[in-house]
Order: sequence, then C-alpha cells, then structure tokens
Amino acid sequence: MDAIQGLLSPSKDVIAQHIVHDIRLPRALLAATVGACFAAAGVVMQGLTQNPLASPAVLGVNAGAALGMAAVSTITPWFGLLGISMAAMIGGGVAWTLVMILGSAWRGGSDTGRLVLAGVAISALCAAFTKALVIMEEDQASAVLSWLAGSFANGNWDTWSLFWPVALFALIGSQLLTPTLNLLQLGDDNAQNLGISLVWTKLAGSVLVLILVGSAIGASGSISFVGLLVPHMARILCGQDHRYFLPLSMLMGSALVVLADTLSRGIIFPLETPAGAILALIGAPFFIYLVKKRAS
Amino acid sequence: MSLKTWPLLLVILSLLLVANLMFGAVSISFEGILNGFQADSEHYFTVYEYRFPRTLLAMMVGAMMALAGALVQGVIRNPLASPDVLGVSHGAGLAAVTYMTLFPTSDIAWLPAMALLGGFSAAFILWWLCGNHSSAIKLAITGVALGALYASTVDFLMLVKPLEINNALLWLTGSLWGRGWNQFFILLPWLGLIPIALWLAKSLNLISLGDDSAISLGVNANTLRLTSLAVAVGLTASCVAICGPIGFLGLVAPHLTRKLVGGQHQILLPCTMLVGAILLLFADLVARTIDPPIELSAGIMTAIIGAPYFLWLLFKNK
Repeated sequence: MDAIQGLLSPSKDVIAQHIVHDIRLPRALLAATVGACFAAAGVVMQGLTQNPLASPAVLGVNAGAALGMAAVSTITPWFGLLGISMAAMIGGGVAWTLVMILGSAWRGGSDTGRLVLAGVAISALCAAFTKALVIMEEDQASAVLSWLAGSFANGNWDTWSLFWPVALFALIGSQLLTPTLNLLQLGDDNAQNLGISLVWTKLAGSVLVLILVGSAIGASGSISFVGLLVPHMARILCGQDHRYFLPLSMLMGSALVVLADTLSRGIIFPLETPAGAILALIGAPFFIYLVKKRAS
Repeated sequence: MSLKTWPLLLVILSLLLVANLMFGAVSISFEGILNGFQADSEHYFTVYEYRFPRTLLAMMVGAMMALAGALVQGVIRNPLASPDVLGVSHGAGLAAVTYMTLFPTSDIAWLPAMALLGGFSAAFILWWLCGNHSSAIKLAITGVALGALYASTVDFLMLVKPLEINNALLWLTGSLWGRGWNQFFILLPWLGLIPIALWLAKSLNLISLGDDSAISLGVNANTLRLTSLAVAVGLTASCVAICGPIGFLGLVAPHLTRKLVGGQHQILLPCTMLVGAILLLFADLVARTIDPPIELSAGIMTAIIGAPYFLWLLFKNK
C-alpha cells in the first residue's frame, strides 16, 4: 500500500514512500530501459550480421565501451555522465569496427565463427587495458569490479533524466529500421536488388547500436548476454518478422533485467550482487547451447 | 637455425632473470643482488625471500604453460588451440576458487589437485560438446564460451564472497603477486610432467603427418592423443593453482617458437619452454615496474601481447 502511495503522491513523512520514490522507482526504470536497449542492440546486430551469435557482449562492443569509460573516468574525471556515455560510444565504436574488419563481416555470408572469435579477442584486449587502467588509477577495485559486471545500485533520478531521452531516441530509431532488417534476411544481394543501400543501412544500424549500448553502459555498467539471449527467446515466441519481435525483445529484455536486479538484491541480503553477474550465469550456458545447435 | 637460436634464447632468459631481481619498487645494483643471497645482507629479504622465488616461479609457470600449449596444438593440429582458449585454465581456476570459498580454512597444498580436477572436467565437457571431429573454429568458440561461463562464475563467487583485491586479481587475470617459496615447493613435483612431454615429442612429429600415416608408422594415435592432452591439462592446472589463469601464454609461445626453430617437436618442445619462460618473466617485469609500487597482474600484460597475436592468427588462417 505504501508502495502505491509512494508512486502516486509521495508524502514527505513516510519512510517507505521515500524508499519507493527516491531509490527503487528510478532504479527499476533504469533497469527496464537498459534491458530494452541491450535487447534492441542485440536484435539489430543479429539482423545486420545475419549471425545468430552476434550481440554487443560477444562482438566486443561492451568491452570497448567499458574501456572508453574507464579511460575517461580515470584520466579526465570531470567529464560527467554525458562525457562518459560519449566515451563509451566511441570506445564501443572503435572495438566494433575492428571486429568487423578482422572478422571480414561487411561482406554477407562470411564465416560466422571467425567474427565471434575476433570479438572475443578484442574483448580480451580491451578488458586487459581496462583492468590495467583501473589498477593504476585507484585502489577501489571491488567497486570497479561490480561496475564492470553491471549493477544498478547507483541508479537515481539524475542518471535517469540524462539517460532516457537518448535511449528513447535510439529505441524508436531501431524500430524504424526493422523493415530494412527484414529485407536483409534475404541476403545482401537480394536486399540490394530490392532497393536497399547496404552501406547506409549497415552504417545507420551500427550507429544505433552504439548509441543504445553506449548510453546503457554509461547508465549501469556492462550487462552481458541480454543482447544475445533475448532476441532468440523473442524469435521463438513470435517468428522472424523484425517489426513484431523487436518490440517484444525490448519488453522481454526489460523484464529480464528487472528480474535480475531484483534477484541481485535478494540473493545475499543486505549485500548486493551485480545484476550483470547473475545474467552472465544465465546467459553463458545459453551461448554454449547456441554454438552447439548451430554446428549440428 | 636452432644451433643459433638456443644460445640466444638462453642469453635473453638470463638477462631477464637478472633484470627481474634488480628492478621493482626498489632498484638494487648487481653487486647488491649477488650479496643478497647471503643471509647477513641488507637486501637478503628482498632478493632471496621475495624476488628470487617469484622469478623462479615465473620461469616455471611460463615454461609449463607454453609446453602445454605446444602439446595441445601438436595433438589437435589446430593453430587456434591452447589450454586457455579451450577453457581448461578457467575451469581449473573455477575449481580452485570454489574450493577456497567453500572451505576457507582448508590446506592450500590441495589447491593443485582441485585445479587438476577442474581442468579435467573442463576438457571432458568440451570434448562432450564438440565430439571428435570438429572444425578448428568451432572448437575454439565452444572453448571460449565455456571459458566465459567459468570466468563469470568465478566473478560471481568473488562478488558474493569478496576476497582481498590482489587475490581477486589473481583469480580473474592471473598474477604472480606475493608468490614465494611456499608456492614454489607446491609446484615443484609437477615439473615431473615435463620429461613425459619431451618423451612424447617423437610420436607428436608422426601424428602431424595425419592419423593414418601415424598409425601405419606404429603410433597408437588415440593413446598418444589422450596422454598428451592429460599431460597438458596437468601442466596447466598446476600452474593455474599457483598463479591463476594467465591467458594467451600457451597460445602465443608455441607459435613464436615454431617461427624460430620450425615444427620438429624434439626441438620445438624445449625451445617453447624457454620462450614461455621469457615471455612470462618479461610480462611480470613490466607489470611490476610500470608504475611502482602499484602492480599490474602478469595476466593483463600477456593479454595485451597475446590478443593481437590471436587476431593476427585468425586473420591469417583463412
């Protein structure tokens, strides 16, 4: 009852209403939006590369973005959240470009495995640099560790107000891209015959992914496996049409991340486990299952 | 070629060894080091108790991990394979961390055994998922995915039960921080695996001709494969128990060595041990001296060297 009251008309006197309005509500909103962002990014990446294993975490975007953030927050800490999000986008962009070139994924029908391995190696490289920066600059390693694993513990209205316009813009943008993604599934040649500019589509898709991932990572830290897991679940539920399964993915991504965040608070009360760590535990077996299924 | 390479590698190794003893948070002169081995010297503690065992450990671990990588690459005939790419190191690390968090009061001497168990389980799971005949890239992807799973479980355990920071770094990236004579003596018996590996060298040459040719030349391909993999897992797991999953070392060292001395295993195996020792000594030296007294972990340095190399291999292997 206090929770509902806290949502609708928070009064200054009841502590429970304060908790709901000032701590839990922004946190839940953040978790939901971050989940939607990662899920949408996963859908767009899988559509662009036509690779079922593609996702921000697997292809190195998360690690690159984390490196960008770590670089900015340790070397030039006065930039604030917006600067950090920009750094995350630039870092993720550089990482993804490298992965795409090394995995030779701009041409359609390239070897999907090579792309994934390139992503993994770039991730390892970025992660090594990130850890090096973190260790050199400060000793609060456990805080940084939980940030690297992705946590909503610091979510508040300030973060939310900077985060939601960008996220909304990018989510709507990716929804607008869906008809094109549908055509891409026919293969690069057919899509081109149907009047789609491959270069512009892939460029627009990439920029959208970077905005989605960069802003989400800026808000919460690196959450892995949502982008990989959710599009597949959504595809099972409602088929291959991107126009329908992108919104469904966003919803499911939100639900999954909110669930993980709730679990993260409950597992070892009063301590918090980062939501990203819980998602990784769910996501990694699923990844292995996908690899196995793809081969057989 | 190999006649020239041997002395060169040995010289580099001994230079690095001296450098490792000399530099660090405090620099010590060369005479200081020589005196440091006497108990009455002012540098006795730094040199004999701290830097010397750590340097020895770095050499042993580097050599063993490189040897394990060479064995795996020799047997699977897959240039992308190595214990860390295949997830064996992280499996071993996970077993060790689980053991430490579940039984915090337990004896550290059991760690290698637990790591060995984890390493074997990881190898078995990989084999169960991939079967006998799978492509280089599929094996690598599955291994990497399994490795990520183990690593995220380690992450999870660390976050649930926070250890001190250096321990955490140790298990997440691999580090030689604070390793001393204790760990040295734990690792010592496992050096016994090295002669076994060298003894396998000749058969490994034959198996690189292909299974059919090897069998007609009198090599039991399956037995050889199992023995080599078991030895490789043993080498990796014992190292991981001491200093965590140091990545990319087992991948890079054999490749570099093959460039230097060619593919004949009788020469390749000993040389790769030298190269591995050199790489890890170098990584640890840089990690310690880049910003003293703060220490990076050696695993970070090996990843910075190794990941680009892996990418290059991937790019070349079309």
